[in-house]
Amino acid sequence: MYGWLWRRLPGGPGARLVQLVLLIAVVGVLLWFVVYPWASQHLPVDPSGLG
Amino acid sequence: MGRLLRIAGELLVTCGVVVFGFLAYMYWGTAVQASDAQRTYTSQLTRQWSEANPITVLSGQRTITPGTPFALLRIPRFGRAWQLAVVQGSGASQLLLAPGHVPGTALPGHVGNFAVAAHRVTAGNPFWSLPSLRKGSIIDVETIAGTYEYEVTSKPTLVPANDLSVLDAVPFHPGETGHQKLITLITCDPPWTGTSRLVVTGVLVRTLPRAPGS
Repeated sequence: MYGWLWRRLPGGPGARLVQLVLLIAVVGVLLWFVVYPWASQHLPVDPSGLG
Repeated sequence: MGRLLRIAGELLVTCGVVVFGFLAYMYWGTAVQASDAQRTYTSQLTRQWSEANPITVLSGQRTITPGTPFALLRIPRFGRAWQLAVVQGSGASQLLLAPGHVPGTALPGHVGNFAVAAHRVTAGNPFWSLPSLRKGSIIDVETIAGTYEYEVTSKPTLVPANDLSVLDAVPFHPGETGHQKLITLITCDPPWTGTSRLVVTGVLVRTLPRAPGS
């Protein structure tokens, strides 16, 4: 999976590394600000709410 | 076969990282959100209270818009600096930012049961230390009208998560109209789960009206 991604990225090893880091950053930001807040409202984690 | 196994392994490791990220978000991400909201609520309340005329505001206080802060909760046993703004409503969206007043229960200082729910963990762990309260511990609630001092009447108790009779005007006696002025703090137990609720009840022992213009 990651090997396939590495081979698909254009440029030399340096450029690929930069792209990979950027890609991981984008995924991380999406998770932290979109996916996790959404999931936290739909999973019964510490369900102290009433009514 | 080896290739499939490698892909499966990579997928599993990725899932693990995503799940740990979620735990980190629940612990730290929600805490940052809640402390930002608390700062806003507290300054909003102190500004309101210094400007408003207590009498006019109190008469309109019977219907508070959900999500609006209206009281400051202080529990000396949790530390001198421990103070949280309480908002109206106890749904998940309110508890994400602050302890919430359970709709339909009494307002602070009134006859009946002023019930406040908050998270044990996440959202800054507001009620993490609730089990440490003991008979005689003080719970202060400040509103525009003044400060209400409640005293805890017994050790924290555990009730089933679906048993809401702790919120009754006379706790565990649904339908009865009480004459006492009570407070009930309620949170999750064990932490992270919805297995049961941990409950602390107190009774009003002192009222300190706000001096006009203070």
